Amino acid sequence: MKKNLILPALLTGFALLAGCKSASTDLHLYTWADYIKPELVQQFEKENNCKVIIDTFDSNEGMYAKLKAGATGYDVITPSSYMARIMFSQDMLMPLDHALLPNLVNIDPEYLRIAIDPAMKYSVPYMITYTGIGYLKDQVNDVQPSWKMFARPELKGRMTMLNDMRETIGAALKYLGYSLNTIDDAQLAAAKAVVIGWKKNLAKFENEQYKTGLASGEFLLVHGYSGDILKVQEENEQVEFIIPAEGFSLASDDLVIPKAARNAGLACKFINFLHAPAVAAANTEFITYLCPNSTGYALLSAEIRNNPGIFPDAATRARGEVIQDLGENNQKYIRIWDEIKAAGE
Amino acid sequence: MKRSRLPFFVTLGVLLFFYLPIVVLVVNSFNASAYGGHWEGFSLRWYLKLMGQHDILTALENTAIIAVTATLVSCILGTTAAFALHYYKSALQRYHFVLIYTPLVVPEILMGMSMLLAFVALGVKLGLFTIFLAHVTFCISYVAMVVLARLQDFDMAVIEAAQDLGANWWVTAWRVLAPMLAPGIASGALLALTLSFDDFVISFFVAGPGSTTLPIRIYSMIKFGSPAVLNALSTLLLVVTFTLVWASQKLTSNKGEAL
Repeated sequence: MKKNLILPALLTGFALLAGCKSASTDLHLYTWADYIKPELVQQFEKENNCKVIIDTFDSNEGMYAKLKAGATGYDVITPSSYMARIMFSQDMLMPLDHALLPNLVNIDPEYLRIAIDPAMKYSVPYMITYTGIGYLKDQVNDVQPSWKMFARPELKGRMTMLNDMRETIGAALKYLGYSLNTIDDAQLAAAKAVVIGWKKNLAKFENEQYKTGLASGEFLLVHGYSGDILKVQEENEQVEFIIPAEGFSLASDDLVIPKAARNAGLACKFINFLHAPAVAAANTEFITYLCPNSTGYALLSAEIRNNPGIFPDAATRARGEVIQDLGENNQKYIRIWDEIKAAGE
Repeated sequence: MKRSRLPFFVTLGVLLFFYLPIVVLVVNSFNASAYGGHWEGFSLRWYLKLMGQHDILTALENTAIIAVTATLVSCILGTTAAFALHYYKSALQRYHFVLIYTPLVVPEILMGMSMLLAFVALGVKLGLFTIFLAHVTFCISYVAMVVLARLQDFDMAVIEAAQDLGANWWVTAWRVLAPMLAPGIASGALLALTLSFDDFVISFFVAGPGSTTLPIRIYSMIKFGSPAVLNALSTLLLVVTFTLVWASQKLTSNKGEAL
């Protein structure tokens, strides 16, 4: 009669598991894997006598689909800015009470100026990353901080650009001195011609393998995200990251509290905790993305503080832009991207 | 005339194609380099790092709990379903067959989404239990199909003989049917275990807070995580898999001799 015992035993087991995991002193964080320094989580748990349970998602879209279908139980989520905006417009996010978040005064006003949610009504920036150029300094001569590096014939076949229409067309737009959120047809046509010119020199359009390729020397110069390339740098000291002076794109993952949060109070405490200057600095050192906390900048190591790939000069910084959702006009980019992909084949 | 060497080379080629990526992965798990592009010396750092990552180990634990329980339950249900499908031939059984067969052909993303909607509508709290239920749903079909194939060349006269000799239903099922179907059930169970272990799409949708499974965790590591830690983890899983396969072959071959 063993069979009859299995199911009830299972059910009790699951009930117990579920029971001990849903105490009111739990904070459920839904985020990307390895996106917070583990010691900081322990510190928060100790300070607030609670338990932080981390679950992970692999794409903004997957996370959104799941929440939209009604999944609940998460207290803090870290979507990218554009997704936070969509979630807010769908009434999925809780407005933030700034009285409970005194550490928001630390947030870099220069970033907020261009952020999608500058007043931090529903989201607080967590980590920002720039898109720029990574290269091997012993293999590439005469490097200039410019997108025109992709036109260098001697690097033909050893370069990659991102397989992301907004990033790559955006790079060309910036190179030409336009906004990377432009919807002007003439500007877009000019950018298309530039990208097609670059494409002749590229090994491929690539979003993941460029890191491995750069580490191993297969690629000499790549278009990629600062956080990723700085991670490769830890491995191969020949790797350098530069931000083109013509301008660059900037992306952020934000901290948000969903409307269905069970423990909004603790969620506020957690967001506030992450923006304590010392915590923000420790997190930046660990993830190699930049937590935009200007008070915390002073606490970063000189190595990071003086790295132009993380802190570009003021003139370059002023040319950074956040990729905005263009709604209907996205079609223009899709069409041009298709033409670029088809060109020369 | 010499025998053609072609089959030998084709076999070799296929084996290389199957196992070379695994060999590369295992070698790289001992590589000190994080990106595996080139050899930087033998190192166990990724194994040490893996041991320090409690959330990966928790995810592994979640996955193991679900895989084992889902396999157990789906084996029982799947075998009984297969028996019913084979033994009783009524119009109702035809619909039964369609119901059992459907999960095999429905796209995973549809299953995941619809189950999530169902759980939310019913107010079931998402967590390990919902993943378990979802996995049982699709594992049943696989187990049932494998056992059904086994039943095709099963001599029903054996059952009648057992009953003729005075065995009641329970004894027939346990002493006659189960041992004869054991190889089918075992391969069904292995299939279910593997499917449950690496299911991502369905699990992603029906997972709740605190129930991240290993595949969900691994997919998420693509953005920020360290691929080298994954190599170490995969190597350990491979060791477990090969041990299991070796043990099951050992067991079945011993049984064969005993019979």
